[in-house]
Amino acid sequence: MPNRKAVHPELYSPDSAGIPSLSGGKCRACGYVFFPPQRYGCESCGAPPEKLEAAELRGCGRLHSYATVHFHQGKDIEAPFTVGLIVLDEGPAIRSLLTSGTDDGLTIGDRMKSVLVAAGSDPDGSEMVELRFARAEAAK
Amino acid sequence: MKKNLRDMRPVYVVGIGLHRYQRLSETPYVTLGLTALREALADAALEWRSVQSAYTGTALIGMAASRPMLRHLGATGIPMAQVENASASGSTAFRQACIDVASGLTDVSLAVGVDKPGPVAMAPGKTRMRDLVGSRVVPFTHFALLTQEYMTRYGVTAEQIAQVAVKNNRNGANNPNAQRQKAVTIEEVMAGPAISGSLTRLQCCPVGEGAAAVIVASDDAIAELGIDRSRAVRVIASVTKTEKVYRDAKNFDAELTRETVEQAYSEAGIAPGDLDLMELHDAFTIEELLYTEAMGLCGPGQAAKAIAAGDFNIGGRCAVSASGGLLAMGHPIGPTGAGQIAEITRQLRGEAGVRQQRNAKTGLAHMVGVGAVCVVHILQKGA
Repeated sequence: MPNRKAVHPELYSPDSAGIPSLSGGKCRACGYVFFPPQRYGCESCGAPPEKLEAAELRGCGRLHSYATVHFHQGKDIEAPFTVGLIVLDEGPAIRSLLTSGTDDGLTIGDRMKSVLVAAGSDPDGSEMVELRFARAEAAK
Repeated sequence: MKKNLRDMRPVYVVGIGLHRYQRLSETPYVTLGLTALREALADAALEWRSVQSAYTGTALIGMAASRPMLRHLGATGIPMAQVENASASGSTAFRQACIDVASGLTDVSLAVGVDKPGPVAMAPGKTRMRDLVGSRVVPFTHFALLTQEYMTRYGVTAEQIAQVAVKNNRNGANNPNAQRQKAVTIEEVMAGPAISGSLTRLQCCPVGEGAAAVIVASDDAIAELGIDRSRAVRVIASVTKTEKVYRDAKNFDAELTRETVEQAYSEAGIAPGDLDLMELHDAFTIEELLYTEAMGLCGPGQAAKAIAAGDFNIGGRCAVSASGGLLAMGHPIGPTGAGQIAEITRQLRGEAGVRQQRNAKTGLAHMVGVGAVCVVHILQKGA
């Protein structure tokens, strides 16, 4: 396999097999689980950096909301694209692009899973991948 | 022991002035600010030399905005500072002016909000905590997500939410200081262009330029400077909070507002039913529904019905955004929170003309800002 690179290497690995996990953090003092990772201090209890540890978050959760963006001024992506607010099984609510460019068929409560999608290549020819979320199972 | 604003010296709004909110123009910020300020001084029948401290609410102009503007009223040497608190900059500048007077540090203080759109360095982008979406999610998408969640939870339609834009543009059409002064139909609002989720352009506030000035004074100043007491409006609560980790709530925006307003009610000694009007942070239509519910004006999921029934119209039980709100009056950032105080003062004085909420005695001003922060003031006539 050619050398793959993650668009956000600090947030996920480009080489995950199966459902890619996310790099989050956990406070050993209070148990608070968070994403994105940081080593500044615990937002929930104020514990110092040495109490914070890396926590692998399985890329599984439930769709809490979604919106298709029709107007976007940034150059990195063209509208329309769809953003989901996903509550991960470990607790954090995160925002991610969804693999589907439209909200057709999405329902709040759907089970979601992370996937790596191709995101072009960098100047040295490496294939870039970006983590997004896709529907795993319709809401019951 | 810790005190509330109400336990300190009474603070009154005695002068208000605005420069119309408008699209970016060649007008220097100095002209915008001085226009609002001269109007506020004339409104209070005060001279500039009576003002003892000044706070400039501004987020976009850049470092050291105050004195290059205010020196043109005569360099009196008073303390001046800029207050940057994202969208709540003007509200926070007003709070600082109130604190000066309430504490006895000054008898007359000024809050002036002024801004012009321009490139801005956002500190949250410098924390080196990138998330998955970065700048692909801007405020309108944050609120589009809250809109979809609300519609699903309560079975409310996009059109019911869009009615907020119809109401607030109707109010703005009667406000000479509003950026958008044109009534719109629900069909026009829904016709787009689409921005994000179900939010259309008219459901998103315009960000332009402008200025708003508010002068506050003590009882001593009112007596000594011959200020018209019948037009003075007392500030009975000033509360600001920042977001916490709400482990059980997914809607942090509504939760922060709920907590902040609850404390403001408690400090003012009022209940939601006592409010005759409010100006709230309606940068996007959904916010009026979220916040009126969080403030207890109606139950969870009931705001769309209340809006349809006219409860939040001028003439309804609590006029919401009689100025046109951020949606129609506009959101030039620094001025916005000070402009809310000006509208509530005008209403409580009974000087709002065709926008007048009859017999208005108590009004609330609410702003939120990136961070997240929330700032709430309650004003009352005859208090």
